[in-house]
Parts: sequence; structure tokens; C-alpha cells
Amino acid sequence: MIDLSGKAAIAGVFESPRRDAPRVHPFALQMECILGALDDAGLTLKDVDGLCAASGDWAEGGSTMDVVELAEYIGIAPTYVNSTDVGGCSYILQAGQAAAAIATGLAEVVVISYAACPRWWPLSSPSFDPFVFPAGPGQYEIPYAPTLISTYGLFARRHMDLYGTTPEQLAQVAVTFREHAAQNPNARLRKPITVDDVLASPMIASPLHRLDCCVVTDGGGAVVMTSRERARDLKKPPVHLVGYGAAVARTQNSQIPDDLTTPAALSGPRAFAMAGVTPGEIDVAQIYDAFTITPMLALEDLGFCGRGESGAFVADGNLTLGGSLPTNTDGGGLSSNHPGKRGIFTLIESVRQLRGEGPGVQVPDARLALAHGLGGTFCSAATAILAR
Amino acid sequence: MTAMTIPPVQDETSAPFWEAAREGRFLIQRCPETGRFQWYPRAHSIHAPHARPEWVEASGRGELLTYSVVHRGNQRGDPYVCALIRLEEGVTVFSRVEGVAEADLRAGLPLAVAFHQLDDATSLPVFRPRTPD
Repeated sequence: MIDLSGKAAIAGVFESPRRDAPRVHPFALQMECILGALDDAGLTLKDVDGLCAASGDWAEGGSTMDVVELAEYIGIAPTYVNSTDVGGCSYILQAGQAAAAIATGLAEVVVISYAACPRWWPLSSPSFDPFVFPAGPGQYEIPYAPTLISTYGLFARRHMDLYGTTPEQLAQVAVTFREHAAQNPNARLRKPITVDDVLASPMIASPLHRLDCCVVTDGGGAVVMTSRERARDLKKPPVHLVGYGAAVARTQNSQIPDDLTTPAALSGPRAFAMAGVTPGEIDVAQIYDAFTITPMLALEDLGFCGRGESGAFVADGNLTLGGSLPTNTDGGGLSSNHPGKRGIFTLIESVRQLRGEGPGVQVPDARLALAHGLGGTFCSAATAILAR
Repeated sequence: MTAMTIPPVQDETSAPFWEAAREGRFLIQRCPETGRFQWYPRAHSIHAPHARPEWVEASGRGELLTYSVVHRGNQRGDPYVCALIRLEEGVTVFSRVEGVAEADLRAGLPLAVAFHQLDDATSLPVFRPRTPD
């Protein structure tokens, strides 16, 4: 078996500064990001032989052959593609598989790209979206009209009952990431907030308030990956993918495990094992934060704290700059941007932190970064460990 | 009933479930090899994948495992309660809880199944409070 650790590197990244892109088709936004990431790497479209995208969901512009549509729009004919869509963490999963493709010679320069424009997109969610599809497994749940937020509410409520987690501890997640966003000129929301502000904001789906929820922005980003050897001579210092893991588990609410274990408990250990490091060695983390409960469960499943201890872990300030695990240094989905599947931004901000280019708060001399995402409602998970 | 407007696409596997629901009975599946129950219904047993599960009538009794009150959702209307309910048979189902004030919702609340007729083809199971045994 090939040891994948360190065989591939991220050579270029780009995050669109846009948060509102009225009437911009998401493919046009992707093209801006792809060109930006290639320029960051010192490469051009002519160098690209691999394309990864998951652009067939709502407000992403593509349909069921999204990666083909996107290749055509860009004007390339890639010989390696991946359009696996497991939700928000798809781009982390695609980065791991791109590393394998690069290590085995299937591809040399792979672009992973994402954009969505939910703020103006005129079409409604397609009826085959798993969270509105009332056939097969969904026929026993969709008629009850669960909302995405209410499913996170099921997790949050049970976490409170099992472990004594408080609304104040949940709110602290939003407060912390807003502190980071305050330093990021591109972040959607930058005005500092308090725990009381979160608790006073309108209840959306109990126990989650409006400020427990991510922002809804347009936006996009792209990542360029290539081999360790080729990355060495490019414009920016390479960031090596040293650990990777992914897992999928469920879509239906009835299948939520009693103890709230998520697929991160599978993706995380695989990533740490490949990298040969432990959670305590991570200098900076980007952990998908669709809602305040989202990163809390990930912190437990990834081993940064024990089962049920994430509330105290957050309240103790561990996620702040200067804490044991500075997290979501750009402000995350709760404050910076969230077009719908923000996993790619966890990769981009990890690379910026390792280069010392963080737009928000910057962890000094960060050497080892963790990018982690989930898909759907803790349905899937993907974890990448990156090193300079 | 608010915001319960998407009828299920019934199929060969699920037909007995929906037929029983129209008669006010709540069916779950049992593995013929292991005797273990499963939810949601499938054409195969998740405990013995080559076995075909059999339908059995559930007690309809259970308790509230966790819930979320939807105050602002995809559709206008009154708040409603999405919930996971642990049935006496040991499986967990997703449904609505009705007839309980938000302040009185708590894990462990004893519940029993009830049915809402959506249309001629569909009666939808929901859960309401019951007196503890």
C-alpha cells in the first residue's frame, strides 16, 4: 500500500472576497476562484488535468453532470474528475482522493473548486435533495417537515440532556468565532457579540437561536493540489497533506446514535494515524460550524476533548487565539461566510494559517493544521491534516 | 396540522405500513433470523441482510428521546415539535409530538401513537402524551 502522507501538496488557494454576488452565476464565481488559486500557485489553466467539484446542489449552478458542465464552462477537458457530493465536507474528501490520484499518477495538477449564490438563486430546492425527498427512507420523515436546523436542534437538545451542556456554552462558540471575524475584513459579520446577544436572538428551532446559526452568503473558493516534487518549485511554499480520513453514516434522523457519535469519530482517527500525530499537536483548526453545536460534536469525535466535554472546552477559551486549539480563525461559517457547503474554506484558511497569511486572527508560527468538515446533519465527515 | 404537506411516495416495501396506518395501526419490522426489530422499514433485514423482515404491530408506546420546536421554518404556520421517540420495542422513530406545551417537553416523556389523515391514501402517525403505565 502506498503511504499517502506528504505525497501531495496544496500549492495555491483563493477565497472570493464576495459575500453578495447578485445575479452572478456560480460557475462565473468558480472561474474567478480557480484563476485566483492558480495564480497563487504560479500555474495556469493549461497545467490543470484534474477537476473536483460538487456543484449540483441548490444555488450551485450545476445539475446532475455538474463536473462536466463546469469543465466545459471553464474551457478544459480534465482526465481526472471527482464530483462526489457528501455535503459540506465534499471538498475535503475530494482533496484526500486527489492526493491519492496524484500519488498514483492519475493526475498531476488538480483543482478543487466550489461556489454557490443562495442569496439570489431563483429556483427552489430540487425535489431530490435528501432533506426534502419523501421517497424510500425519506417517506417516513419528510412528511413531518423537519428543517435542517431542527435536526441540529435534536442533537443540541440531547447533548444538553446527556451531558449538562448549557445554552450559554453553545453561545460561546458563536461569540468566539465572532471575535475572530472582527479581525477579518471580508467577514460577513464583524461586530463583537456577547453570550446574552446570542440568547436574546430569536429562537429558530429550539434550542438554537438565530445567532447559533451560520450566515447565509454567496461565495466560493478554490484549491490547487499537485505532487510534493512539483509543489517545491512553485510560487508559494507548499502545504503538504499529511493526513486524511472520511466516512459517511446516515441521512435519516431515526438513525442518529443515542450517544450522538458522528462519522468524525471514523474520519478523525484515520487522518491522525496517517499523519502520525495526536490531537494535542495541532496548532490551529478549522472546524465546520454551520451551527454552534456543529464544531462541539466534532471536537469530541476528533479527540480534542472527551465525550460530552465540549461545552466546558469551549467555555474555557480553548478555541480562542492563545487557547490550546485556536479554531476558525477567519470567523468560520457563523460569522465569515457560508454559501451552503463551506468545507473548502476550512482547507483555504488552514493553508493561509500555515503560510502566515490569515485574514482574521493569525496563529504565530503555525506548523500543523486540521481542516474538518461534516455534510448534511452530521451525515458524513472528512478530515485533513496539513503541514508546512 | 401545520406544515405537513409533503405526502410520502409509497412503494412495494412500504405499502403494508401505510395500509395499516390507514387502519390506525403502527407497524415496525422484525428480523426472522435474529428476532430483532428495525426502523425504518426496508426490503431486507439490517441484522441478517439476506433475510426478508416481517411486519409486526408495535405497541405504539414510547418515550421522548429528544426534540426541537420549529419556530421559524420553511413554511409559515404555528410552531411544531420535531422529535425522536424511543418505542418500547427499542427502535427510534422520527415524528411529531402534539398536545404538549413547549415548557412541558422533556426527555423521557411517555408518549403514544395517534394518526392524522392527510388524504385518502395516507394516515400519518404522530405522538401524543399518555399516562405512564
